[in-house]
Amino acid sequence: MPKVTRWFIKSGIFYFVTGVLLALVAEIPGVHAGPIMLPVYWHMLVMGWITQMIMGVSIWMFPRKYRDKKKRESVLCWLSFWLLNSGLVLRFLSEPFLPIVQYNSAVVATVLLSAFIQVLSIIFYVAEIWPRLQTPEKRKRKRTLA
Amino acid sequence: MIPLPSIWMIRLSLLYLLISVILGAILLTNKALVLYPSIWVILPIHYELVIWGWLVQFVMGTAYWMFPKYLKQVKRGSVTLAWLMIVTFNIGLYILILSLILRINGIIRISGRSLLMLSVIIFGLLMWRRIVSYRELKTR
Repeated sequence: MPKVTRWFIKSGIFYFVTGVLLALVAEIPGVHAGPIMLPVYWHMLVMGWITQMIMGVSIWMFPRKYRDKKKRESVLCWLSFWLLNSGLVLRFLSEPFLPIVQYNSAVVATVLLSAFIQVLSIIFYVAEIWPRLQTPEKRKRKRTLA
Repeated sequence: MIPLPSIWMIRLSLLYLLISVILGAILLTNKALVLYPSIWVILPIHYELVIWGWLVQFVMGTAYWMFPKYLKQVKRGSVTLAWLMIVTFNIGLYILILSLILRINGIIRISGRSLLMLSVIIFGLLMWRRIVSYRELKTR
């Protein structure tokens, strides 16, 4: 299992536990955090957990574009990992507090930055996986040409 | 090696992931800057695309590729059925999203969901006999 996959999965498990915990806390009578917490724990579960798990496992299991082992963990994989995780952390630290800090410009800027880098992370992930999706025939043809 | 139907399903799921994350970023931006409150109409599109377009379609495409294959006949069952699964799934999703954009309930949305259901039934049919161990498969 490549290192980047291990990081994706471990980070995913962290969000899984945290997301379930937050969903539990939001149900406690008197907490009154439901509407604020809802986007946080849903994104922890869908992006932080399931999507990150898929990303990590697909980087590991999908046939590599290059047979060279050094290319196994490309810059795109790591960029995708760090951008997604920093995007999610920034989002969870800023989005719920927007109404509390009355849309303070620093918090607004953090939310915007988190949105931007999450998109960027997915672009890098798609750029990594897309060329790996080749039919056996196309793969063979490329190998013969090389 | 990845079969062509799986390549298509996974590629389409990657596109849906990208679109839904962009829609999510638009919603998040609007939440921070409060530009157009009416933009919240894209929220159901955002989560339908994530769940159906990305997660479900990716899992279906990967399962069709990776589950145990038949040893004696066509490796993964009927290829025509596999293509029918992809076409019904994506047309169904397209109709569903269109109905959400145009805010049309009723027959159009039901037909979109019905096509999705048909695709999932085909998936079940294609996969059912492949959910075995290779030891069991060799005796067939």
